[in-house]
Amino acid sequence: MDFTLSDDQQLLLSSFESLLDRYRALPVGEHGYVAWDAAFQQELAASGFAEVASQPGFGPLDAALLVEAAAACPRGVEAAASLLAGPLLTGPLLGQPAAPLALAWGLGKPVRYLAQAGTLCLFDGDTALVGTPREGDFTVREGVSAYPMARLDRVPAGAQRIVGDAARALHRRALIGLAAEGAGLMRGALDHTVAYVKERQQFGQPLGHFQAIQHRLAECAQAVRGAKLLALRAAHADEPGLAAIAALHVQATMRQVITDCHQFTGAMGLTLEFPLHLWTYRLKVLQGEAGGRAAQARRVSAHAWQSAQTSKREAA
Amino acid sequence: MDFGWSTEQQALRARVEAFAAAHLPADWENTASLSPGSQAVTDFSKVFCPRLAEEGLLASHWPVEHGGGGASAWDHFIVGEVLWEAGEPRGPQYYNVNWIGPTILAYGTAEQKERHLARMLAGDVIWCQGFSEPSGGSDLAGIRTRADRVDDARYRVNGQKIWTSYARLAEFCFLVAKTGPARRDVSVFLLPMDRPGITVRPIASVVGDGDLHEVFFDDVEVLESERLGPEGKGWEVIRFSLDYERVGIPRYALALKTLHRAVAELQAEGSFGPDAELAAATALAQCEAARMLVYETVDKRMRGRPDTGSASMARYGVVLAERAVADFVLDWTPHLFTGDAAPMVATHHKRAIAAGLAAGAAEIQLNLVARDVLGLGR
Repeated sequence: MDFTLSDDQQLLLSSFESLLDRYRALPVGEHGYVAWDAAFQQELAASGFAEVASQPGFGPLDAALLVEAAAACPRGVEAAASLLAGPLLTGPLLGQPAAPLALAWGLGKPVRYLAQAGTLCLFDGDTALVGTPREGDFTVREGVSAYPMARLDRVPAGAQRIVGDAARALHRRALIGLAAEGAGLMRGALDHTVAYVKERQQFGQPLGHFQAIQHRLAECAQAVRGAKLLALRAAHADEPGLAAIAALHVQATMRQVITDCHQFTGAMGLTLEFPLHLWTYRLKVLQGEAGGRAAQARRVSAHAWQSAQTSKREAA
Repeated sequence: MDFGWSTEQQALRARVEAFAAAHLPADWENTASLSPGSQAVTDFSKVFCPRLAEEGLLASHWPVEHGGGGASAWDHFIVGEVLWEAGEPRGPQYYNVNWIGPTILAYGTAEQKERHLARMLAGDVIWCQGFSEPSGGSDLAGIRTRADRVDDARYRVNGQKIWTSYARLAEFCFLVAKTGPARRDVSVFLLPMDRPGITVRPIASVVGDGDLHEVFFDDVEVLESERLGPEGKGWEVIRFSLDYERVGIPRYALALKTLHRAVAELQAEGSFGPDAELAAATALAQCEAARMLVYETVDKRMRGRPDTGSASMARYGVVLAERAVADFVLDWTPHLFTGDAAPMVATHHKRAIAAGLAAGAAEIQLNLVARDVLGLGR
């Protein structure tokens, strides 16, 4: 048990943070629902971080650290799928998946980054279909979610079906990515809200001096930290039960973080100029990702309790 | 970063589990349900702890020069997880090894260490914590119990403590008293409970027998040599002890065991449907989040970077975990709460109810998180 970053991890994370620093500020005067940035995506792909995080000596834990850090940045970039599931597709399966990597949980459903994606991974029961999405495979959906979204209309021609352990590994990494990204988004939203309540004055004092507000933000801090630690533990173990626990916890706790951050930033938090929505409206998409809490609960239950039930039934 | 246990740590857990299985009597779960401060559990702790000490498991994390095993705090934590989950057969003595001993190690004189640590290591001494008062609970600075100087070597204590766990059977009290006029002029004393002038009255409670008491001090003499740390510097000592106490009990371990027990009951009935599954899995995830927050605090402390905000965040996570499991049992397996089929379920409930109160109310933890983690103080 060791909660300290290794020297290598510190170096990796600090150089990644300096890449993120160039994209932390939003362009002045550009206020939109979606802050996805093709240049940011290209720089991330060219930066070699995905390759480094899949080198020997690094692994999913290192990738999850980067994903969490990227998600806390207001400018959007697809990192979770590329950094966590991407390395599993590299090599014998597909050659090199092209970023962004879009993860879909069913036909006819909205998918993040689908129109921009070089590669699509569609989960289909215990298997996954992986291919290159082309025009006609999807319909772009405008919305307020802060992710570029498109509906998946059909399976891309030539998609390969991945089965067995390889498909299970992709699924597991998708849940770990969901947990790490959700934790980073919650951190971004909370940090921005905490900075706001330190500045905003009402009744002659900063909002952050009111205990009613302090307590709810402190509860959020507990949720955010717990979610991050569970995501990192799941990535370290790269194990499906822990991945499901981390994904469930992030989906269960994000609702309070979304609500409270908007509550304490008032009407300012409703404007496009104020970047809070870039975190919270992404979180709102993640809330139902991968089947939402009910599906994560089934996955947690399968690992924690169904085996016990099965052995009991067998014994009977 | 590494979130796993080493082979040695896994072997230690197996060893403690085997030890507990071998040394807990068949009716232990019924005894445990009486509360750690009950006569029965206290008596058993005086049998169990010396055996644990013989195995080198009672204070494995204390320094070798003070009779400990010199092992890492993780070893002690693993012992704590197994034993708390088993209903805490160390009884009130978990206080000694978790936080009173470490605080004496940090602030005690050579004489105090010699006097108290050896007794704790022998496994047969009971302590109580003299913090809360009618005028000062969460507002600990509001205490009125005074220790007035009589001469260079003595003080005289007058006042009252309340909600004091284990007081009736305790030999010593870790006492906080005012030693000056200012709100923050407090000192800590290691007071023998057999001193003339001390009166203990039990208070009946839902937590169980032996858990709550009133303690009255009428002209009780306490020696300068019994003061822990410098006069008037009690807050530093108290803060140190609370950082240990807040995450000292791995409460999520018994909460998880209770949750597993309730789920097994539903499965046996064939009624573990999607709604119950969602509630149970959500509670499990909160227990695991609390576990990770507690581990992070222990890790920071071991590296000499104790952090009040982190301990308070962990404690609040634990409070939510306890509540989630207690609610799950009441919602889905109420018969386990009221019946006698699973005594440990009721035991969990009795102990969980105090999680948001002991070691500082949950709202105090939130104050500390707001101040120390978020920088939101005035």
